[in-house]
Amino acid sequence: MSRIGVFICHCGENINGTVDCAKVAEAASRVPGVSHSVDYKYMCSDPGQSMIKEAIKEKKLTGVVVGACSPRMHEPTFRRACAEAGLNPYLCEMANLREHCSWVHEKSEATTRKAVDLIKSMIEKVKLNQPLQPIKVPVTRAALVLGGGIAGIQASLDIANAGHQVIMVEREPSIGGHMSQLSETFPTLDCSQCILTPRMVEVAQHPNITLHTYSELESLEGFIGNFKAKIRNKARCVDEKLCTGCGMCAQKCPTKKISSEFNAGLGMRSAIYVPFPQAVPNKPVIDKDHCTFFQKGKCKVCEKVCPTKAIRYDQEDRIIDVEVGAVVLATGFDVLGTDFFPEYGYGRYKDVINGLQFERLASASGPTLGVIKRPSDGKVPETVVFVACAGSRDPAKGIEYCSKICCMYTAKHAMLYKHKVHEGSAYVFYMDIRAGGKMYDEFVRRAIEEDDVKYVRGRVSRIYEEDGKLVVKGADTLLGHEPLEIRADLVVLATAGVASSGAEELAQKLHVSYDSHHFFAEAHPKLRPVETNTAGIFLAGACQSPRDIPETVSQASGAASKVAGLFSQEELTREPLVAVVNRTAPPLYSTCTGCGLCMPACPYQAIEMEEIRTRDGTVVKVAAKVNPGLCQGCGTCVALCRVKAIDLQGYTNEQIYAELMAL
Amino acid sequence: MLAKMRQKAKDLLSSGVVSTVIGYGEGSGNRVRALFIRKPDDADKLILDERCVQNLAVYLTKREVRALGRPAVVARVPVMRTIQQLMFEKQVAEGEVAVIGISPDSQVLDFPDLKSMAEYVSAIPFELSADEKAAVEKLEKMTAGERWNFWLDVLSGCSKCYACRQSCPLCYCERCTVECNQPQWVSVPSHGLGNLEWHIMRAMHLAGRCVNCGDCFRACPLEIPLNLLTQKIITDIADKFGGADEYALNAFKPDDKEDFIR
Repeated sequence: MSRIGVFICHCGENINGTVDCAKVAEAASRVPGVSHSVDYKYMCSDPGQSMIKEAIKEKKLTGVVVGACSPRMHEPTFRRACAEAGLNPYLCEMANLREHCSWVHEKSEATTRKAVDLIKSMIEKVKLNQPLQPIKVPVTRAALVLGGGIAGIQASLDIANAGHQVIMVEREPSIGGHMSQLSETFPTLDCSQCILTPRMVEVAQHPNITLHTYSELESLEGFIGNFKAKIRNKARCVDEKLCTGCGMCAQKCPTKKISSEFNAGLGMRSAIYVPFPQAVPNKPVIDKDHCTFFQKGKCKVCEKVCPTKAIRYDQEDRIIDVEVGAVVLATGFDVLGTDFFPEYGYGRYKDVINGLQFERLASASGPTLGVIKRPSDGKVPETVVFVACAGSRDPAKGIEYCSKICCMYTAKHAMLYKHKVHEGSAYVFYMDIRAGGKMYDEFVRRAIEEDDVKYVRGRVSRIYEEDGKLVVKGADTLLGHEPLEIRADLVVLATAGVASSGAEELAQKLHVSYDSHHFFAEAHPKLRPVETNTAGIFLAGACQSPRDIPETVSQASGAASKVAGLFSQEELTREPLVAVVNRTAPPLYSTCTGCGLCMPACPYQAIEMEEIRTRDGTVVKVAAKVNPGLCQGCGTCVALCRVKAIDLQGYTNEQIYAELMAL
Repeated sequence: MLAKMRQKAKDLLSSGVVSTVIGYGEGSGNRVRALFIRKPDDADKLILDERCVQNLAVYLTKREVRALGRPAVVARVPVMRTIQQLMFEKQVAEGEVAVIGISPDSQVLDFPDLKSMAEYVSAIPFELSADEKAAVEKLEKMTAGERWNFWLDVLSGCSKCYACRQSCPLCYCERCTVECNQPQWVSVPSHGLGNLEWHIMRAMHLAGRCVNCGDCFRACPLEIPLNLLTQKIITDIADKFGGADEYALNAFKPDDKEDFIR
């Protein structure tokens, strides 16, 4: 006969406010099999836990039901208390009297009745609970970092410096990401490449980091501590071992009129190219879509000029298998190129550019060597208009969220322009100035007060060309909606920051959740910001939402510390709530028919087929077997199995049935 | 063609390739019964006409039949489809069964192995007949209420004799879920709710597997159109999942249609 202890928590007034807790405890005490039933103000408090421990010892309880909050909050607390008192922790269950009852109903008789029902249901379940032992799984102490921007670089360095192996995958030919494209950085105006490139070199030289550039993740299988990844090394058509990075090939390549991705379309590059001079690794790739040899079958100039004979036209993509224990997602973001507002003339007028393009114009390594010249005729602009929120915070035409970095970089752009063109005038059209951050507001004030940037609070309605000038029509809402017309030479749109292309497919590959804008979702917005809902996969940087460099770097270090924490143990302890295929007496051996239809249904590839043999080794049956190390206890196989040969430990068919029948 | 089939059965038995030939024979009262031929001389008892429609693949998974040794089975297209499905579900392996194939125009077919049989039968389109399609459409045109009443009415007579299950070659589980009483999810008595539970469960267990042989309907003593349920599911799967080679219930693709989830 069961001896169940029932403990009803008031949760202050959270539960007791609408549920008569004393009455619930009294009703529970009359359920057959219950030998102890009490209520208390805070069960999770130290005295509350002591009540449970003492009752287990005194009444020799065989199971515990705590009627309190959601098991997501305090299940570990109560299970640990039970374990301390010598009761198997999996013989303790929680009935959610708060979220499922007191918070969602008015104070009434019926609310108390529902609480009694929830308790009764859980009592019947606990009667069938079996003691379970936690599962131990080994940890592979190597991390896979996806993305080689500042987020990936920082996370990789932190993990590598903690003494663990890092495999870094970057889809572009060089690491560096968007930060390598920036001119100066706010709020200190130090050169972006000057602070980034030492980190890039450190990554390349670090003995614990294996770098795969021009590569993409093909697939990821497994679970926390034991992932198996396939990485596709795209063919560079260059033998990296022989290549010295002399740059002769790019210099002599006859196809030179290809729009440069690194210069955001403002410069040109050749078909065989290194994206930028400080690229890591400094090895060129052949852009097959533009290479004359690959398109027309003739040319091979690079092969002829290469002093080390490193060109390999026949190189093929290679798939590399790696085993890792954790994954850091640091795939970054994209700046929207095509504008949401056709009336701004983006794409039609050469002198309407986006923020990233302005960065390239202002950068010393850019197509104009840092002189701000407008793209159409190379003239230094006398008047520049910056439009903030071009797409962001606009649910009607663009996206509803704030891209966060634009207020700051727009102030920076205006300032950089004024520093380079002293007599020029800069206007900023804005909705609000969001400059929260250390030294951020001071930075914007400096732009307005010291550098004489004219801030106009209002939206731009239209931009059109007239006599070689761009006419910007807007309104100044702080001056009584006075219509305003500015004749500008260059217009910079602070277009929205959006999820990186391919983010959705990647999320599906990794089984991580993402939001409606394809940004990866964190496990909890406040308390678990660097974790995903998939254990062992962490987030860093703008792949989660647009963010600036300081925030990205801190998040990357946060993700790295999570990884280092995970790698500090030799074994992981996992909840034993996993699926099990039954075994029965001969001649059945198992009710499993061995149809194997559950195998593809399992999202974790945890099901394999097993031969059941007699003592002399004869195979008597082939049945499914669940690998407890891989199983996540989702229950998909249980639902699919026609014979119900699979059951979920802790949530067995019998337990669920008993719960329902108690109602 | 009858002679050819008998000759083939004789050859298979006398050469020792198989120990049993499962075919059709005369039963009592102008009925056809399944015939298990063990000796070459008995092969002349085999018949083949329009009455021979029972899905003989039902015997292939039976423990008692397996104990007789390697069987050959007389197989029209639905039977061949069943064997193909049984192979997919790892219940029949290459080499375990020989097939005496009968083509839609009643020609005897020779297959060196089950793989070539599967190739042959895959080439024949799997679709409902015009009458069956009309019946499904009629069902689809009903309102939800009408459909509910229709099924309640049709299934009210069911006495849960489980002849539909016994005749179905794909209901090969050694312990059926309805016979599990710990816990007893599906109630035993043949009342309205219990009948619905049983038939919904049966249809769902056949979703994506049913070959539409019609044996469940033929076996039903009350002539309940049970196969209408599975025919509707066959139609839906073809519509929603494009008749994939995989099992519709366990293959997930990101572009699967979700318009039926409301």
